[in-house]
Amino acid sequence: MKIDLKSLTIKKASDHLKKGDFSAVELTQAYHDEITKKNKDINAYLEVFDDALDAAKQADEKIADARKTRKEISPLAGIPCGVKDNILIKGKIASAASKILENYHATYDATVIKKLAANGAVFLGRTNMDEFAMGGSTENSAFGVTKNPYDLGRVAGGSSGGSAAAVAMDGALFALGSDTGGSIRQPASFCGVVGLKPTYGAVSRYGVMAMGSSLDQIGPIAKTASDAEIVFNAIKGNDLKDGTMIKDNTYTKKRIGKNKPVIGVPRHFLAGDGIDHEVLKAFNEAVDLFKAKGYEMKEIKLPNISYALMVYYIIMPAEVSSNLARFDGVKYGLRKNGKDGIDDYFETRRVGFGREVIRRILLGTYVLSSGYYDAYYNRANAVRRMITGDFLKAFESVDAIAMPTAPSPAFKIGEKASDPVAMYLEDIFTVTANLTGLPAISIPCGFAENSGKKLPVGLQLTARHGDESTLFETGKDFLGES
Amino acid sequence: MITEKELERLAILARIKLSEGDKKSLVKEFDSILGYIDQLKKVEVSLDASARVGSVKNVTRPDVVENTSREDRERLLNEAPDRQGDFIAVKKILNNT
Repeated sequence: MKIDLKSLTIKKASDHLKKGDFSAVELTQAYHDEITKKNKDINAYLEVFDDALDAAKQADEKIADARKTRKEISPLAGIPCGVKDNILIKGKIASAASKILENYHATYDATVIKKLAANGAVFLGRTNMDEFAMGGSTENSAFGVTKNPYDLGRVAGGSSGGSAAAVAMDGALFALGSDTGGSIRQPASFCGVVGLKPTYGAVSRYGVMAMGSSLDQIGPIAKTASDAEIVFNAIKGNDLKDGTMIKDNTYTKKRIGKNKPVIGVPRHFLAGDGIDHEVLKAFNEAVDLFKAKGYEMKEIKLPNISYALMVYYIIMPAEVSSNLARFDGVKYGLRKNGKDGIDDYFETRRVGFGREVIRRILLGTYVLSSGYYDAYYNRANAVRRMITGDFLKAFESVDAIAMPTAPSPAFKIGEKASDPVAMYLEDIFTVTANLTGLPAISIPCGFAENSGKKLPVGLQLTARHGDESTLFETGKDFLGES
Repeated sequence: MITEKELERLAILARIKLSEGDKKSLVKEFDSILGYIDQLKKVEVSLDASARVGSVKNVTRPDVVENTSREDRERLLNEAPDRQGDFIAVKKILNNT
């Protein structure tokens, strides 16, 4: 049968593969062709792997085998996907969109890659991102900006902009991203797709390049909430190589709503003038749709949430400055010659790192330096705990919290490039999930009209620790997925 | 709020060379970022150092070597910018005198 990429989901593709309507090789070839057609304009992929068809062939054998023996097979068998360039696939380049790792080949598989490969997923290529996942627009990539498939004059969001654009342009059925302050959810919002930041510790971080180790999580970007759930179920779970993993019983399950989850809305946080009125309109319509579907909507207060972004822009750079100390030009990556050994470091890091990365390393060095440590880092950690407390208190009376994912739809390329604080404000609604470790999902909730073009808007739902299932349940219901 | 001299010190700590132009623009950007995050100083907090995310606890595993394959060792060594046999080569650190 003819493959219609536009309407295809993981669920549908998996059914077709099992029935033999088309093969994994044909499916992978269809995505290859689509990428060849669109990537030169959009720049979602930094590299398309030449061995994807081999993996597809193996998946076809697995599927045929399962059919013969009447065994269950993973819904991801033969499903083509994109992988963010900061996640390691053994033998492939993993550059984090940085010049310092331009020619670095991963020496092992990330745990998520191992798990996806065991499920039979097919890796199409590595997707573009802000350098070392620092940014909200993919403009900080050393290899060119990723453009928004809805409007090529606008950004795809970031830092997982390549992953979101790849899914939105029908260049993959899903893609992996990483989320330190919104890097999965904000690009998903900008590109009209679904993005999940799992509970901290739900998915192994082994093999993703560390940015903010107390904030980072790997998660899926997909077309539907059901698809995001399929990928999450495949990549989550115990791994001794990540010392911060949670177990199934780490958090106790709880539900307040009898039929459907009770959803809280922190109206006080949406009142400022920093939020685009078209975004607010789409959000309010989403709230109305929830009501119409029989959800109880409750106004909640998160007293310290307005400090979240400041806390984030202290803790994150502090962790960045420590984590990026490893790029010294000795063991791997770029080395530039200085006048002596120590000067090699200075030269290598000056040439290898981009502006935003240097800015954050220096900012982190500043907030951790003696004399400023208490005023910034310690204080930020204390306020981080207060914010977490606010959320846990809110979850005594609601099961999920709804907010817009980002304060604006996709902005123009270059619009915020010269003002770091304006760019940082993009993360205002997303950073709390990382600071608190709570799971959060972005789902499409309509469009903003902007100079004749329709730009997607995302709705963010946050749930209790370990309760991704409420996010999927609510997301599927909202999107009308069965 | 931050001087070029302070910035130079940070750059030395972070092992990054900065040009004069870099310093000028960074001072400006630091002012705007610090101006923003300094609002945190208004919050009443009790400072205690034990920060944790959710209920995450440290999980440890035995410290034993799992992989000693020659192939993986080669892979790692091949990523080094300068390799000499089974060693990673760097410039001399100590003086001869």
